[in-house]
Amino acid sequence: MNYDQRIEHLREEKLRQTNEKLKKLGTRDEDDYGCVLPPDDFHWEPPVTRDDGSFFGAYAWGKNFRSLMENHPVYIDSCDALAGRWMFMLSRMRPGYRLELAPFPPEFDYSHLRNEQGKYDITCGIGKDAHFAPDYEIGLRLGWGGLLEKVRDCKSKLGDQDGLELLTAEEDAILGIQNWITRSAEHAGNMAAREPDPILRQNLLDMHEVNARLVEYPPQTFREACQWIAWFNMASRTHNRDGAGGQLDELLRPYYEKDINRGLIDDEDATFYLACLLLNDPHYYQIGGTGSNGEDVTSKLSFLILEAAKRLKVSCNLTISVHDGLDENLFRFGLQCLLEEKMGFPRFSGEKSLVKGFVRSGFSRDLARKRIAVGCNWMSLPGREYTLNDVIKINIAKVFEVAFEEMIGDVEDEPASLERLAELFSSHLGKAVLCTAKGIDFHLDRQFRNEPELLLNLLCYGPIEKARDASNGGLEYYNMCIDGAGLATVADSFAAIEQRVVREGRLDFSELADNLHKDFEGIEGRRIRQMLGGSEKFGQGDSLGDKWAGWLTDNFAETVKSANTPGGRRLMPGWFSWADTVRFGKSVGATPDGREANTPISHGANPNPGFRKDQALTAMCKAVAAVQPGYGSTAPWQLELDIGACDIADAADKIGGLIKTHLELGGTLININVVNAEQILQAHENPDLYPDLIVRVTGFTAYFSNLSKEFRQLVVDRIITR
Amino acid sequence: MGSGLIASIQRFSLHDGPGIRTTVFFKGCQLKCPWCHNPETIARKAELIFYPQKCIGCGACLEVCPAGAHKLSPDGQHEIDRDLCTGCFKCCDECFSGALQIVGQSRSVQDVLREVMQDELFYSNSHGGVTLSGGEPLLQAEFAAELLKECRSLGLRTAIESNLALPWSVIEKVLPFTDLFMVDIKHFDAKKHRDLTGVDNRLVLENIQKLDDSPVELIVRTTLVAGLTDSPGNIRQTAEFLKELKSLKYYELLTYHPLGLDKCIALGKIEASEKFSAPDSQEIQRLLGIASLAARPVFLDGKGIAENELRSEN
Ligand code: SF4
Ligand code: SF4
Repeated sequence: MNYDQRIEHLREEKLRQTNEKLKKLGTRDEDDYGCVLPPDDFHWEPPVTRDDGSFFGAYAWGKNFRSLMENHPVYIDSCDALAGRWMFMLSRMRPGYRLELAPFPPEFDYSHLRNEQGKYDITCGIGKDAHFAPDYEIGLRLGWGGLLEKVRDCKSKLGDQDGLELLTAEEDAILGIQNWITRSAEHAGNMAAREPDPILRQNLLDMHEVNARLVEYPPQTFREACQWIAWFNMASRTHNRDGAGGQLDELLRPYYEKDINRGLIDDEDATFYLACLLLNDPHYYQIGGTGSNGEDVTSKLSFLILEAAKRLKVSCNLTISVHDGLDENLFRFGLQCLLEEKMGFPRFSGEKSLVKGFVRSGFSRDLARKRIAVGCNWMSLPGREYTLNDVIKINIAKVFEVAFEEMIGDVEDEPASLERLAELFSSHLGKAVLCTAKGIDFHLDRQFRNEPELLLNLLCYGPIEKARDASNGGLEYYNMCIDGAGLATVADSFAAIEQRVVREGRLDFSELADNLHKDFEGIEGRRIRQMLGGSEKFGQGDSLGDKWAGWLTDNFAETVKSANTPGGRRLMPGWFSWADTVRFGKSVGATPDGREANTPISHGANPNPGFRKDQALTAMCKAVAAVQPGYGSTAPWQLELDIGACDIADAADKIGGLIKTHLELGGTLININVVNAEQILQAHENPDLYPDLIVRVTGFTAYFSNLSKEFRQLVVDRIITR
Repeated sequence: MGSGLIASIQRFSLHDGPGIRTTVFFKGCQLKCPWCHNPETIARKAELIFYPQKCIGCGACLEVCPAGAHKLSPDGQHEIDRDLCTGCFKCCDECFSGALQIVGQSRSVQDVLREVMQDELFYSNSHGGVTLSGGEPLLQAEFAAELLKECRSLGLRTAIESNLALPWSVIEKVLPFTDLFMVDIKHFDAKKHRDLTGVDNRLVLENIQKLDDSPVELIVRTTLVAGLTDSPGNIRQTAEFLKELKSLKYYELLTYHPLGLDKCIALGKIEASEKFSAPDSQEIQRLLGIASLAARPVFLDGKGIAENELRSEN
């Protein structure tokens, strides 16, 4: 079998496994993770639990994780260059787990915050894990044996009880992983003995050798480095779903160059190993970007990584960091992959604005350059910064609703007006941010007793040395991200009020409130809904909607930025809804922008669908660039490109121009979907028709057929304008 | 500065020339191609357009119409008596569903320019620019020339989509400010051209030759409508004619698309909404092969056709 045939086999196998997961687990509105189902007869229970079956704290996590690793089924595909697949998420095996609300030890009570969290529909992030980036360089340098030694060395120097407990758990984690790798290496060896195909037999023998070494030693070759990263990823996924990656081209470059120079591998081999790594798990990797002196770090490997993804044709979360000196060929090749493969990769991040923002947050330019794009919407300093990106959100449509209702309820004392509404909104936003900040303190003070970051700690600077969890002061920097969701919904609501109520006097506040409460009932209600919906929207360019979106951005960014948490932690604002627009929408009644009750709120920093008659993407591009909070967090542009736009002579010029202009104008990150509207509609009606259709839902990609109906609708709505 | 009657302005238009462009659709055309996909740009005055599927039956238009042109039957059917309509467009202001819309607004050069310049940065980042289309932009040649001149002075690349069925003196007005002409040869046969469009093609062909001697680039296009323009002879003759041109960027065949149908109905031009169709894809491949024998390169619907994709045709 040649490499292409092996890739084809691996892709088909993955598709089969994905369908199996769909059948067994139902639809899931998340990343398409690289996990596979365990064998039917597999049974495991955590050995250390409380009476209710749950477990908390370093000791329990260490023991349970080690046990899970020691029992984890081995998985080897003779076509794959890399061993292993992961099958479980320990963090989700605790009773009561919900995607939006993590378990927390009941003895730590935050019911005093719950009232306001509910009132403003805050996703508080308490108990949330991962969502910051490790530095793989540490692991690649030390290997599992070196990491174990480091942990034991630090442990011997410490007397502190919590520290000892953490480092013991770290030890357990590593021992568990080594056990898993040892068994996998043996299994590869056994399979080799039975494999009739000489090429695959050699592959299994190599796999055996590579993994037998990696149990203890740091990787020496390119293949070993890929395998090491894959083991860390799989273990980290199994621990708590972590999915951040790193600057992949730079991490692997030394191994690649060494092997190439020694004639051990050629580019075909390297591309195949990369394809296997990308298939193993869709972690978020950045390529391109700048080095510490601002120089472009694009290398041959950057191209090979894209090439591998291109050949693989499964969902990949690769981001090209675009800066002024970026190799134009890499940018062009990225565009080519995007337009030809139509699988939502790569994404493009804008170094200029991200660095500028982080510097504005008080950090040096050097440090800012080291931050990389490693999540749906987020940036992180690998191994040095704890951020909880993407898990702390305020539904500002809900904040708006609270303000509006208070104004309407108070008319006896103070007449309703746009100014009063804006004032009330600001004051409630302040309260929502404060409540969120208190939640962040609560989390940071106690999370290590809930769920320590056993895996990420290993690849960070500090947690092992200081014997303190990453969530508990182990790292250097704490930039706690708060994202606002519902920007366009609120901007358009303010704009509709200014235009229809204040300027044109077509209806007054009480009529408006009445219609909102009745969810635009009846013919007259529908007319009013359309009148409101037809007012000047965010994204049109110089419209009232644009004005309010600007006001909201300044207001939100300053409110978040001007206050540290009561415990003194730094906050960082962003606009991002993830795919939570559905959930957020359910808590908000009808809004003055003509949105009906309980329907999804607007997506991220995007204008509402139908914001302009011509739907001009240039207008959308400028609009999103203009609402960047500007402190180093992103407000990604979710860009849906119809296939028609990509099937023309100079599509790369056109789409490339769009991307470059967005990043030039201050944009930070672009998540792009190339879609065939007709196909998406058909797949929405009958998902089975297109089992391998991949869409970028927000920051992440997923098989369309794996999404729930509601989520598919979300994608459809963005593509097919109301 | 004068003003022009503009049907619409489309930003991020992808099919009207190279790069990212803004297309300004002029209102008014002297030809009557029955398959026109922009029928709302034909009449030289503002028009009322009505999309019944969007109507929610709120009755607001009935209340404001001074002419009593709107009728709403109890079962929700909405009809317009266009004979009564005086074109005051009051109803459009009250219709928020988008069912009633006005096409055609008088806009100044500065006003159009303001919108065009919104995307300035995109043009330079994608080798794009501005395109005047329609309708026939050269029916408002003074306005078009003024607009193009301003665009040029602001450093934009410019293009015109025209049927060229106008005296050369009219074309000369915009020539100094135009980089690219996109021109249709609807049919090569003079009589057929007249039958189909109502005007002769002699002027069109002459003007193409004159443009070929001017410092502009040319793209020539033919819309393939089954039974009307898709005869191999027509494509062969057109391509032969183009063979001699020095400034031809490419010859493009456009597949007929029934986009104009709904708009015809919405404009109340039921009689114009005759059904047309495009030739099948095999036939299109054949025509591309024929075209490429003489004119090169050949495009189909915005995309270059590679040598190896062309079927040879003898
Ligand atoms: S105003 Fe518009 S929506 Fe209302 S009845 Fe007239 S056409 Fe229909
Ligand atoms: S344009 Fe004026 S006259 Fe014509 S239907 Fe509308 S309101 Fe009546």
